[in-house]
Amino acid sequence: MPQTLRVIYSAFRMAMLHWIADPQWVIPNIIAPFVFTTVALTLFKDSTGPFGLYAVLGGGMMGMWGNTLYSSGFAIEFEKWQGTLEEVLVTPSKLIYIIAGRSASNALFGLTNMMAVLLIASLGFRIPLGIENPFLFAISMVLTLLSVSTLGLIFASAFVLSRSAQTLTNGLEIPLYVISGSMFPIALLPFWIHPAAYALGPTWGIDAIRLATSQEYSSQTFWAGMSVDVAIILDLAVMSLLSLTYVVIASILFKMVEKKTRIQGTLVEA
Amino acid sequence: MSRLRIFFSSAVFSFKAQFSWLNPSMWLTMKFVLSLSQMAFFVFVGLFIRGPDVISFIAIGNALQVVSWNTVFSVVAIAAHDKWDGTLPLVLATPASRLPLFIGRAMIHVLDGMLSVAISFAFAAFLFGVNFGQANVLTLVVTVLVTAFTMAGYGLMIGGLAFYFREPVIFANIFLFILLVFCGVNFPVKDLPQPLQPISYVFPLTYGVEATRSAISGASLFDISTLLGQQLLVGLLSIMLGYFFFRTFEHLARKTGRIEAV
Repeated sequence: MPQTLRVIYSAFRMAMLHWIADPQWVIPNIIAPFVFTTVALTLFKDSTGPFGLYAVLGGGMMGMWGNTLYSSGFAIEFEKWQGTLEEVLVTPSKLIYIIAGRSASNALFGLTNMMAVLLIASLGFRIPLGIENPFLFAISMVLTLLSVSTLGLIFASAFVLSRSAQTLTNGLEIPLYVISGSMFPIALLPFWIHPAAYALGPTWGIDAIRLATSQEYSSQTFWAGMSVDVAIILDLAVMSLLSLTYVVIASILFKMVEKKTRIQGTLVEA
Repeated sequence: MSRLRIFFSSAVFSFKAQFSWLNPSMWLTMKFVLSLSQMAFFVFVGLFIRGPDVISFIAIGNALQVVSWNTVFSVVAIAAHDKWDGTLPLVLATPASRLPLFIGRAMIHVLDGMLSVAISFAFAAFLFGVNFGQANVLTLVVTVLVTAFTMAGYGLMIGGLAFYFREPVIFANIFLFILLVFCGVNFPVKDLPQPLQPISYVFPLTYGVEATRSAISGASLFDISTLLGQQLLVGLLSIMLGYFFFRTFEHLARKTGRIEAV
């Protein structure tokens, strides 16, 4: 196995082992998406239209988001508490590969959050969850998962420098749910927020997931009126491009963070 | 006099202590970002599903619910940090009277919570068009004060219970977010399934949200006195229960010699 992949895999495995050793930490990051979905489904109770689809898929998406964000913040804070962040930084492996492995593992756990939300919606609220195009749905899910974890890389780089990583996580979680239009069309947001929404990979990912799930839904990005398959492919192409951009930005940020922490020697105080 | 001194020093110290994990600029950012984003999220969901008629209902509910971040999350975080930072044995070793020490921990968060609510009301009025023109200001201020105080009682109860667990912050998250479902914040309590509705009245916030909506519609203090009375009762019961949890924990910790492990 190439060295880079080995580092990513080891970090992935380590994050998995941490989670298995202390699974209670799954509670904080699923509680918000679960509660938000419950509220939306209760509001939806007497309504008709594609609202259930928005609520359920949006809730699942938020589960992935929440998990990645929360874990990125907490992983760094946890290292600081345990005094192991310095060791992680001085290993010959690049920090970004280590964090990438962790991010992938966190996003994978996020997928279980999504499954939990879907299950609860289906059993508790009797929302029909038929999937129109399972193949494109699966591809959209996997790529969205990757996109979320690449975004997690950017957050993690900032969290290394911040003393309030966990607080930042709490503060960022809900704004991201709003901006990405996880539970409502982004057209409802003020116009000046739209560029921020389109700069987030998951905005395109959730659009593709919804398109693959139901014919009732029409694209909320720029592909309204196109055939469903084409709209999904375009959504996924834009999201992949954004994900690659996140990786590039994260690499630059991690280099800067590593340099700054080594020069200033203030990692513990940060 | 000594009890009063302990009460005030506990109040001030617990507020200062939160800045060991939250720097002041972050505290201020959270105050604005969190209240706005939570309100915006539910307003847009409500707007999408039920139309513009629900905006005011949801914005007011969320504006008041923001108080829980201060009175529940911050208060439970004190218990968590006492455990993580190793200060719990020192707290339990002090000869200071326990009741003012325990209640004092939540009290500055009452004022902090009121500030958060005021900021949220400003968002509700200027960004989401909630009409405060008919509001009875005195009733509104008293309602927010009583809600912040009783929710601090609720925070102390959860904080007291959290001493028994390894990660109190998990408790804070669970008991903070379920308020959004049970307390009539985003939809009326009667929209909940019938068997779940009685649970709503265990939380002081349920009474507060209803009283706040009435105060904004112009109700006088007399009109909502029953609601406020019930809210105070639930809040005081929460404090007593929290204190009971705390003292029992202390007793167990001393008896078994396993303070952090209890």
